[in-house]
Amino acid sequence: MSGSTELASSGADIVIEASGLVRTFGEVVAVDGIDLAVARGEVFGFLGPNGAGKSTTVRMLTTLLRPTGGSARIDGHDVVESAPAVRRIIGVALQDASIDPLMTGNELMRLQAVLHGIPRSEARRRCPELLARVGLTGAADRRVATYSGGMRRRLDLALSLVHEPSILFLDEPSAGLDPTSRLALWEEVRRLNRELGTTVFLTTQYLEEADELAGRIAIIDRGSLVREGSPEALKDTVGSPTLRVDVDAALLEATRRLLSGFGPERPAREGRVSVGLDGGASRVTEVVRALDDAGISVSHLELDAPSLDDVFADATGRRLEGAEE
Amino acid sequence: MSAVAVAHVTGVGHAGSVVSAICVRGMRRVLARPMLIMPMLLMPLIFVISFTGAFGSLTRVEGYGTDNVFNWMAVYAALQGAVFAGVGGASATAEDIENGFFDRLLLTPGSRVPLLVGTVAYSSLRSTIPTTGVLIVSVMGGLSLTGGPLALLTVYVATWGMAAVFCLVGLTVVYKFRTMRSMILIQVFGFSSMFLSTGQVPIHFMNGWLHAVARVNPVTNVLRFSRQGFLGDITWSLTWPGLLALAAMVLVSGVLALRQLGKLAA
Amino acid sequence: MISGTLTGLRLSGIQTLALARRSVVSEWRQLGNVAPGLVFPLLLAAVYTHQFERVIDLPGFPAVDSFLDFVLPASLLQSVSFGATEAGTELARDIENGFFDRLRASPCARLPLLMGRLGGAMAVAAAKGSLIVMIFMVFGAEIAGGPAATVVVVAAAVLLVLAIGGLGQVLAILTGNQEAVNATFPLVFTSIFMSSAFFPTTLMSGWFRQVAEANPVTWIIDPVRRLIIEGWTWSDVGQALGVPLALSAVTVTMAVVALDRRLGAT
Repeated sequence: MSGSTELASSGADIVIEASGLVRTFGEVVAVDGIDLAVARGEVFGFLGPNGAGKSTTVRMLTTLLRPTGGSARIDGHDVVESAPAVRRIIGVALQDASIDPLMTGNELMRLQAVLHGIPRSEARRRCPELLARVGLTGAADRRVATYSGGMRRRLDLALSLVHEPSILFLDEPSAGLDPTSRLALWEEVRRLNRELGTTVFLTTQYLEEADELAGRIAIIDRGSLVREGSPEALKDTVGSPTLRVDVDAALLEATRRLLSGFGPERPAREGRVSVGLDGGASRVTEVVRALDDAGISVSHLELDAPSLDDVFADATGRRLEGAEE
Repeated sequence: MSAVAVAHVTGVGHAGSVVSAICVRGMRRVLARPMLIMPMLLMPLIFVISFTGAFGSLTRVEGYGTDNVFNWMAVYAALQGAVFAGVGGASATAEDIENGFFDRLLLTPGSRVPLLVGTVAYSSLRSTIPTTGVLIVSVMGGLSLTGGPLALLTVYVATWGMAAVFCLVGLTVVYKFRTMRSMILIQVFGFSSMFLSTGQVPIHFMNGWLHAVARVNPVTNVLRFSRQGFLGDITWSLTWPGLLALAAMVLVSGVLALRQLGKLAA
Repeated sequence: MISGTLTGLRLSGIQTLALARRSVVSEWRQLGNVAPGLVFPLLLAAVYTHQFERVIDLPGFPAVDSFLDFVLPASLLQSVSFGATEAGTELARDIENGFFDRLRASPCARLPLLMGRLGGAMAVAAAKGSLIVMIFMVFGAEIAGGPAATVVVVAAAVLLVLAIGGLGQVLAILTGNQEAVNATFPLVFTSIFMSSAFFPTTLMSGWFRQVAEANPVTWIIDPVRRLIIEGWTWSDVGQALGVPLALSAVTVTMAVVALDRRLGAT
């Protein structure tokens, strides 16, 4: 919970910093006093269900929305006082790929270059290069209206990179993408972070995305941060992984007795025994040996590491997966 | 850290290139959708044809001041078309806001004023299409260029100005309400301000409140200015009040639009 | 058998009413859409009454005390025509967003599907038309034909809505696209301008006069106007109601055929 505070006091080079950030819309408190600190070169995941306040936070950090309370600084620039300076160093790919469907990919890239004051000669070199990097060279002269959802996302990413931002905000980057496009996008984000050292602030409601990409995660729910830390550390807070063993009905009692020596029993379906495995994965061989010694034949055995969903559930009492239904 | 390797153009040069990029983008969009040109061109054409056709016998009423109704109605239809063009320019911004593209524009570093100026320039530019259409139809209908070629120039100046004014009024509302629907309000406002002027008949034809309103309506001055070259010679005494009215309207609507632009993030 | 048929008819009646109610309610919930249909024609009438006072003395102009009496039928038809295209647009929206499929999937006969919307539009038109006539009377308009003629005048407008609405439905069913239906609005708007609505055809000349005389809107406007400024005659009543009724018969039949095809095709 105190990840940001520790980071802030550790002397790291903090580029995204928010303290007590609040945004209300009339009676509704969308963001309720958020503290954040993201160090240069980090990939920071902002995880939460729909309507948790992720986009509102991003809009405040990117100068599109004025905070009702608190403050935020991007690379030392206040988002309210020095908004133009902030906009110069950030790249933003907003939710729903905010692009004009009537223009071609090329036209949009050129426009974006002009907006950022990039000289024409420079733009002429850089635009095709970026389009090539996101695999849109062939479609560059087609109207965006003819693009698929994945192509729009990739163009949106290319647009936000025109001015080589040192900090990149990605709001729900893979929402609505098919699995292949999602993997490609992840790879590009990793590459940006690895090769150019770009700091990435990414919001998502997909556990897998946060897990795959982010070095550190903050979980937001109903406008407040509920957990913060690296995915591993967060999962560790939930405790031991779950061991599940399927056996014949006749052997169920014996199995249960045997496994109770390895950890506390957890709820399981018919024909299965589940325990929280004290000591984690390293004890699986021990379990298998014990089962063998007892003459219990196992039809299925699995070890499930705690997921971010378990972390979310632990923090909020609700599951994130399927929460939007 | 990623070095900001890209050099940035700053200052006036940057503002100028943003204005022209926004303007070019707008024109490209219009040309990309011929279906959009049609209503924008057709409405003023329908106006000039309907009003001259239906009210042609106005010239037989004593004191109308011209024997060809096109001399009176052409400018009215052209300015009405310019109002549509201006509102249309603001509508393009409403569309950008609705589909999210406007956020991208707002993330531009530096001043946001060039975004506004570009949109206004685009609106004025696009008003050239209906104005030219109306003038062609009117010349075919016997429009008399008593003031020479300068007469046409006054029409273009007036329509560019009116398009700018109604684009700015439209943007004020769009920045405030952020929806396409709010444009209906401006459409009605634009229509009304044209109707409550000397668009169709001279001021001495009017009576009661209409006379009073048309007298103080700045559009009346703009009409006088742009119509003079079809009724007689072009004189400075009819020119400066028109230019002043245009300048004042641009100034007032400009200040309002800039104020709303400043409040956008709130 | 007979009781079964009756139930079927009664069911259709109930369905029509339910759908009509839905469209009236949705109109009521979007009062912003109704406002232009009231404000714009009234503004036009107010302006024209104050700027065309001199025109009524022209030889050939009908004998009226005020332009207000003359322009009443025009304002009435203009006002109701706003809502008329709305019925088509809403049907297209239903088709676009799939609500129409839900209706189709329900055991509801086809005619109610169409008449529901049109009935709703007609109810709104009757309310708007009555309001327009009342406002005119408050400002001194007189209907020479008396209360019975007043009812006929409003009924003619309501029937015209049925005719235009039918056309909108045809387009909605054929294209399933709101924009295509919206395109009929300028058509209706223009056909009112290119008729005897704002000026008598006897004072027009050339091809415009021929167009105006051949325009069905003129065939409705003229008898309605005579009922207002001259008085009750059965032949005018017949024409005022007969023309829009005949037009409706054509467009509604087309709509039913189009719907049949669409249902057959999918």
